[in-house]
Amino acid sequence: MKTIAWLAGIGTAVASGAYMVVSLNRWEWNRALFFGLVFLIAEIGLATGLVLRRLARLEHDQRAMLDPAIMEILKSTRPPGRDRFSWLKESTSQTNVFITFLVGGGILLSGIAWVVDRVASSTTTPVGEERLARELGNISYPRGGLLVDDVTVLAQDVPGADDAQIRKLLRRAGHGS
Amino acid sequence: MPDVRGRRRRVHPLALLMGAVGLAVGILAVGALREATLSTHQPVDPDSQTELVLTAEVRGAESSQSLMELVDAQVKVCRLEVNSDVVGEIAPQGEHEFRAVLRPSMDETNRRQFRGCVEDWMIDHVRLNVISMEDMD
Repeated sequence: MKTIAWLAGIGTAVASGAYMVVSLNRWEWNRALFFGLVFLIAEIGLATGLVLRRLARLEHDQRAMLDPAIMEILKSTRPPGRDRFSWLKESTSQTNVFITFLVGGGILLSGIAWVVDRVASSTTTPVGEERLARELGNISYPRGGLLVDDVTVLAQDVPGADDAQIRKLLRRAGHGS
Repeated sequence: MPDVRGRRRRVHPLALLMGAVGLAVGILAVGALREATLSTHQPVDPDSQTELVLTAEVRGAESSQSLMELVDAQVKVCRLEVNSDVVGEIAPQGEHEFRAVLRPSMDETNRRQFRGCVEDWMIDHVRLNVISMEDMD
């Protein structure tokens, strides 16, 4: 497969180069440009292939130069991997640092929750009250009372009509207001 | 480790010879190409004429453009590269063959230049092939 690819690349470069020269000789500039472009592509492809082949050879040589005995010695003297979570293991003889983290984290979280609660209560209560007052205002009695015509006002002066509920309804005109 | 300082790499004489030959061939080829693409004009009789016969083939062109139009356009573009003008109209001779007369005639450089232009890929979808370019009596 590699041989076919190399032959195709070389053949393309040779043919396009030859056609480019022939086209130039015939004063066919557009053809010459086209074949020149093909030649350039083939040339870049071949150059890239050569560089990659050289790199692969270097890599192969380096791999082949490794001494298996040295590799074996290095493997046998390799230090054991560190157990980074040994502190999580159960122990009866020492106080585990995990407890410290747990307690400290709980205190910290409780403090944050308390602060959030205080801030929320101090900001939401006045806002809620204002909203409730606004909503109740829509359904409250009119400020001047329900009956404010002169006849009704005069009617309050009638003896025996001194009623607290009526006075509340006729706030402005009642005796108590 | 062997001491390599002061050692000079010896070049095989055959390689030297091959290199010299390659260099000479390269210089000659470039020089020949330069000569082949250099304009060297000669005086021509202003009343002389050249008969151009060519074939044309079209592939994938716009359906509204006829072969005659494509041939006419390419020949008229190419005659701008030389000193000759098309005399009269380009006449079809069969389905794919056309004839044109140019005046004055062309010297060798102009002839090659004109032929190269006509056979070049100037206009998409059409390819012309010069059958003959003969001086008329």
